[in-house]
Amino acid sequence: MTLSKKVVLLGHFGVGKTSLFRRFVDNEFSEDYKVTLGVQIKKKVVEMPDGRELSMIIWDTEGHTDIEDTRKSYLLGSNAFIYVFDLTRIDTYKDLTKDLEYLAKNHPKVIIKTIGNKLDLVSEKEIQKKFDELNITVDCLTSAKTNKNVQNFFTDLSIEITS
Amino acid sequence: MTYQEEKLFFDQQMQCTITGHDGVIKETDANIFSWKVSTSIYDAHPFFEIIKGFLEIFEQEETTYNFPCIHLEEGKLEKICDVTIKINTKEVVILLFDYSSKYHELNKIAQQKNESVLRAKELELKNKFLIDKEKFKNSFIANINHEIRTPLTSILGFIEVLQKTNLNFEQEELARIIKRQSLHLNSLIEDMVDISKIESGKIKIVEERFLFVNLMEGFQETYSKLAEDRGLAFETYIDPNIQEYLIGDRTRVFQIINNVLNNAFKFTEEGKVSLSVTKNFQRTNKLSVSFKIEDTGLGIHEEDLENIFDRFTRFNRDKQISGTGLGLAIVKDLVDLLNGEIKVTSEPDKGTTFDIKLPFKFEISKAKPEKKKKKYSLPESKKKFRILVVEDEESTQFLIMKILISHGSFFVDVAMNGEQAISYMERRNYDLVLMDLELSKIDGYKATHMIRKNYGDKAIAEVPIIGFTARATEAERDKCLRSGMDDFIAKPFEQEDLLYKIVKQIAKKAAS
Repeated sequence: MTLSKKVVLLGHFGVGKTSLFRRFVDNEFSEDYKVTLGVQIKKKVVEMPDGRELSMIIWDTEGHTDIEDTRKSYLLGSNAFIYVFDLTRIDTYKDLTKDLEYLAKNHPKVIIKTIGNKLDLVSEKEIQKKFDELNITVDCLTSAKTNKNVQNFFTDLSIEITS
Repeated sequence: MTYQEEKLFFDQQMQCTITGHDGVIKETDANIFSWKVSTSIYDAHPFFEIIKGFLEIFEQEETTYNFPCIHLEEGKLEKICDVTIKINTKEVVILLFDYSSKYHELNKIAQQKNESVLRAKELELKNKFLIDKEKFKNSFIANINHEIRTPLTSILGFIEVLQKTNLNFEQEELARIIKRQSLHLNSLIEDMVDISKIESGKIKIVEERFLFVNLMEGFQETYSKLAEDRGLAFETYIDPNIQEYLIGDRTRVFQIINNVLNNAFKFTEEGKVSLSVTKNFQRTNKLSVSFKIEDTGLGIHEEDLENIFDRFTRFNRDKQISGTGLGLAIVKDLVDLLNGEIKVTSEPDKGTTFDIKLPFKFEISKAKPEKKKKKYSLPESKKKFRILVVEDEESTQFLIMKILISHGSFFVDVAMNGEQAISYMERRNYDLVLMDLELSKIDGYKATHMIRKNYGDKAIAEVPIIGFTARATEAERDKCLRSGMDDFIAKPFEQEDLLYKIVKQIAKKAAS
């Protein structure tokens, strides 16, 4: 039997949620920025290392500068949240700790993961310095453009979400 | 409103679907999507999988969930709907409200708004990248300048030494060419450093009181001689109403006028060059001075005039006329820094006129005479003076030894680093130490500090020390003096300057 889990992509606008979504589900990437209104939902069946299949229902939500503006109904029944931010725009992650606290407080059973996207535009060393200054830790740095770390991130998430 | 009423109200923009708790469609009007009875709603679109979760937590009482702005697709058909899901004990009612056109309108507005924010961020990022690149470039120029100056010091110094030997005519000519080219290379380095300093904001405009007339007379003297050599006329007019002493940045004013005059002479083969200095206006203790430099030279085409102050711009393709293409760019930058104005008019084959207006201040009190460079001579107490040269670069060691030994009044010892210098000084008395600043083990500043602080023996602790380095900056000079040195000389140096400073320090020490 195929397991089904709901994963929601959250974060500011223009951070690359839709790019990650398209890269993971369809292995496609486009430089054109197209705003997401409301939510787009796609399913990707992932084969787990133990041979089981996981049906990942991914909700790609519209971006908000304030996490509290995200429509509450989109978050219902979620198994994981992926908080995506843009490594080139500090304003998309300067409130990361506060936003993660908000999510954890209101959705205590949901797994929360963080992704710093657009790794192709920054130096990892420089960005680590920024994280140290802001005292934040990030689960994964990705580039939807180059596909760096995208597949691995979702594979790891599929294991965590089903364990 | 019941869902039947809602259906009537929204008519074709709405779809009503009823499923069992197993997800199988019992009934649908297929107004928007052509779902079939007896198929699973979960196969219609992944969005509906959420119902499984709701059913898991369902407890008898009818529950309603509302989801605005959901993108739903069926084949190529795409709709943006608000979705209402009502769950009761028997069935699940799904209401779709198609607001695609409304949401597409909103989408356009959001797209514009977000794009403008992202564009601004992108520009900010590009700007930061350019600033970083500029910083790297400036530090690269400063470093490369240091690396070039050291060997250039040796080249210039040895040419001077070479020119004093018995050379035949051809050798003399070759030495002259090498010297000219080396000086040109030196001026190119200086121009590049100036440009990088201006860009990085490192040039500080100083306000000093100086003898303005003297500065102008200097131009008269220098360029009259050049005009004579070149068979040109050089005419000057200095407005007698301009105060004798002015307050401003003498060095930068000199650099501006000198660069423009130099340029005028470079491009004038016959006729004249003129410098006219007039008072533009005066208010309280401020005045504006106009410097007009005219020549009867090659002139500049109108289409080239707008680029005249760009870097590395040279309109004349005649390779015989040397230049870096940086001179006028520096002039423009310096004029801007001084809050002045510069204009240029020109006509090909007739000549060019530069009109520069610079602001100055003046003191209303009476002027005092300017100090003249004092003359020093070596004390008569000794026939020869012993100098310790602390330098790790072989060619510079050799050059300084040549200069000092040829002078005839000095014995010279050479130490490779600060540590060796201190050990030499403990064994022998020196009249002066020439200390390079960038040395291995113990650098020049540290060595000086140790000499000044660690020895009770006055012969060691009070020995005159002159620092020398390729980093010819004011900050470097200050650092030298703060570390306890008596004077500072920048590479490449003129023999005369080096000897003047050495004699001055030895004479001062003897008189103290």
